[in-house]
Amino acid sequence: MTRYKRQDPEITRRKFINVAMGTTAAVGGVSLLSTLGAANPVFRLTADKMPPLEGDILVHAEESKEGRPITVADLSTQLVRAWAQGQDENGQPVIRKGDPNNILAVYRFPQGQLVAPTNLDATVDGQIVVYSDICTHAGCSVSDSDINAGQMRCPCHSGEYDPKRGAIVTGGPPPKPLAQLPIRQDGERLVVAGFFLSPPYPYHNNEAEWNNVKEEVEEALT
Amino acid sequence: MNQWLDDRLHISRLNDKFLRKAFPVHHSFFLGEITLFSLIILILTGILLALSYEPSNSMVVNSFDPGTVDAPNLVPAAYHSALKINAAPFGDMLRRIHHWTANIMVAASVIHMMRIYFTGAFKKPREINWWIGMLLLIFAALTAVTGYVLPYDNYAYNTLKVIYSIAASIPWVGEWVAQAAFAGKFPGDGVIPRVYGYHIMLLPGILLALTAAHMLIMIKQKHTQPQYAKRIAYKKIVGVPLMTQQTPIMLMLTLLFAGIIVLFSAFIPVHPVEHFGPPSTTPIDNIKPDWYLLWVFGVLAIIPGFEFNLLGGNINSEFVGAILLPTLTLGAMFAVPMLDRSKENLYYAENPTNHPVRLGIGVAFMMLLAVWSVAGYKPELISSGILTTENANTVLWIATFLVPALSYFFVQAVVRGIRALREADERDRTVHAAHADD
Repeated sequence: MTRYKRQDPEITRRKFINVAMGTTAAVGGVSLLSTLGAANPVFRLTADKMPPLEGDILVHAEESKEGRPITVADLSTQLVRAWAQGQDENGQPVIRKGDPNNILAVYRFPQGQLVAPTNLDATVDGQIVVYSDICTHAGCSVSDSDINAGQMRCPCHSGEYDPKRGAIVTGGPPPKPLAQLPIRQDGERLVVAGFFLSPPYPYHNNEAEWNNVKEEVEEALT
Repeated sequence: MNQWLDDRLHISRLNDKFLRKAFPVHHSFFLGEITLFSLIILILTGILLALSYEPSNSMVVNSFDPGTVDAPNLVPAAYHSALKINAAPFGDMLRRIHHWTANIMVAASVIHMMRIYFTGAFKKPREINWWIGMLLLIFAALTAVTGYVLPYDNYAYNTLKVIYSIAASIPWVGEWVAQAAFAGKFPGDGVIPRVYGYHIMLLPGILLALTAAHMLIMIKQKHTQPQYAKRIAYKKIVGVPLMTQQTPIMLMLTLLFAGIIVLFSAFIPVHPVEHFGPPSTTPIDNIKPDWYLLWVFGVLAIIPGFEFNLLGGNINSEFVGAILLPTLTLGAMFAVPMLDRSKENLYYAENPTNHPVRLGIGVAFMMLLAVWSVAGYKPELISSGILTTENANTVLWIATFLVPALSYFFVQAVVRGIRALREADERDRTVHAAHADD
């Protein structure tokens, strides 16, 4: 009976099962991997997450007076934290703090102290200047320095900036100055005059991405 | 009854295989046990905390300070539940015990690793357990980091922001990795549930699995024997059996250790969530990670700012300081068993002074981490007048190279001194022995 051992011309059963199991494992593995896509939720650009836009007014960010418009009298050489307040699609006022990276630092220096590379055209009379308050290194909120008067210091890894010279980096690891926000004065209020002049955190290392964001915002507004 | 159980579970085999395992009698062998007990205490207190914790960053009205109907005081649910835990009887104590045990677990495991390294216990055949131990250390640190994000106070929020931006600093894939890891752009609506999943399911699961592997391999391979074992019974396993001699010692150690932790927790507060308040854009002065990550923080504080583009990927100081450099450091630790080329199995713990180069490199390595940790205190060093803003980075960078180098040569000198003394003793002994013969 065993004299005639059947030679399968095509494929053995063992081989078939191995290939079938391998394919199943591969397809199953890949489909499991696809669930990773769900780990990264879709981002919706809502009005409160948009960066400060032209026409927004600056309001206090400090908890006790949050939402109150900033007046020139509130300002000094000490940092004042601010949010931009714009309007949502229904015309209701909305503070753009849905993205915490939108926090701003506002300073007012005596005439003549603000110098290049600050963009003086984007300040109010060369006196009031607004920067993104997010450190370009690891994204922490920057404060007035408690060590070097007149400088800004990030508490996270000791990044230092000079607010009188375009917030250039004067110490620590940050790779870029803080982004400056153009503003103008409208009565007692401070009004945003356009987008950040350079890509703010977290786009600071990618000009193209920041331009995409700007386009996306403009598209959403029209 | 014993017979009945034995027929079914083969307890006598278990007894021979595991319960009679010989434990070397030396206090330095308790360090691994302390790490294990910490893990058990952490899991027990963690379960209790999880029962009262609400893993959500949706805003809820703060029941302790509700505000008014027009302007309700909204705080994240996770922060609110942390406040409620603190207000519960012994709730704050439970958090403190959990926190202190976590710190002690990392400390005990680090000292445990030092014992392994300096006595050469990582050598063949125990390389695999060194590597598993390294993974345990890394995952323990990750578990700790995800743990202190959970109260979601301002401190946790700032910490999370830095972790997010470190993840996002990886070239090419960083932004995707950060968003996938933390449920969307910072701070995503689902970030707390995501981190909670890591902290109570994924990471403890990994830790338990690795711990089990670590211990099974240790039981299979046996402990390295202390030197005295060589003198009293060469090539024999010397020690006390787990059942019944080592078990009461272990129990005593556990109770004593638990007592010390409770004592610590009773008097030394940790992470006061009320003090830091809910997440806000007001930064926290001198925010710092826990001591075992301080060296990474220190590197970030002294690394000069730079960034350049490599094939479309952005490489910046943050990536180099917080990911590349720690990877290299941990890689060096991983590589330790590979530097030893001995073919023989190691039975006896080695005397560190017989291996001065290994000893010197180990001390230099620890001094390097110490210098970097001191660099984490850069702002304090500057404000206290020890360094100035101008010279801080230079001084700390010089120390980065100089202090480890000096400590290496210092160790060599000390080892030589010890050897000279030992040889003098040896000579004395032979002289006296010769006299005795006369």
